[in-house]
Amino acid sequence: MKLLAFAFTILLFLTAGCSTVVPVTVKFPEVPSMLLDKCPQLKTIEINPTSIVDYTKTVTLNYTTYYECAVKNDAWVEWYRIQKHIFEEVSK
Amino acid sequence: MWLLNFLPEWVFHFILLAGVLGLIASLVLKFIPFFSTYKLPVQVVSILLMVVGVWFEGAMSNQAAWEAKVAQVQAKVAVAEVKSAEENTKIVIKVVKQLELVRTRGNDIIKYVDREVATDKEVIKFVENCPIPKIIIDTHNAAALNQPVAEEKK
Repeated sequence: MKLLAFAFTILLFLTAGCSTVVPVTVKFPEVPSMLLDKCPQLKTIEINPTSIVDYTKTVTLNYTTYYECAVKNDAWVEWYRIQKHIFEEVSK
Repeated sequence: MWLLNFLPEWVFHFILLAGVLGLIASLVLKFIPFFSTYKLPVQVVSILLMVVGVWFEGAMSNQAAWEAKVAQVQAKVAVAEVKSAEENTKIVIKVVKQLELVRTRGNDIIKYVDREVATDKEVIKFVENCPIPKIIIDTHNAAALNQPVAEEKK
């Protein structure tokens, strides 16, 4: 009977499973290609002497360039937040 | 666990069953001469078979649970990839609209400058009499290039 008790104790321990890390890889999400463009250089005034009209146009173009870049930057921030949230949902 | 992939599952069920039946037979079928003579060896072999059988049953159960977990995570990843692509599309649409709006507004202002500002009498008079000093242009250009202003020594 001692032998049987010993055997059953061993069996009990053997039924315990092993923890395993799940080997599933998550691909890094693709970013929209339009967000990968670099911000263009701002325009300088080359005409000399310059009129106030040309000056205003150049400043306006530069402001437009800034806002274009700001839109892309905001999109990057939004993209990061959304993708982070999606990634965290997978690991839950 | 290569053995689980190598051998069919029924082999491990059979090993466990053989162990259990052997042990029961050694305890119950004492009236059969074989079991009465070889009781201890039969019990030892049966217990060994049971140990191996139960171990592999556990391994198979663990393998099944593990594979289920992998499938679950793979399904989650697939859903996440679809969701990620959908969100990317939404972002692209939003960015395209916003860029269009920014460019349109910029162009409208440039057109306004050409149409209204350039033809304004006060502006025309100002342009004729007051050219913008070079230092203003240099300062603007330095700011646009994010470079230090080149100061001229007086």
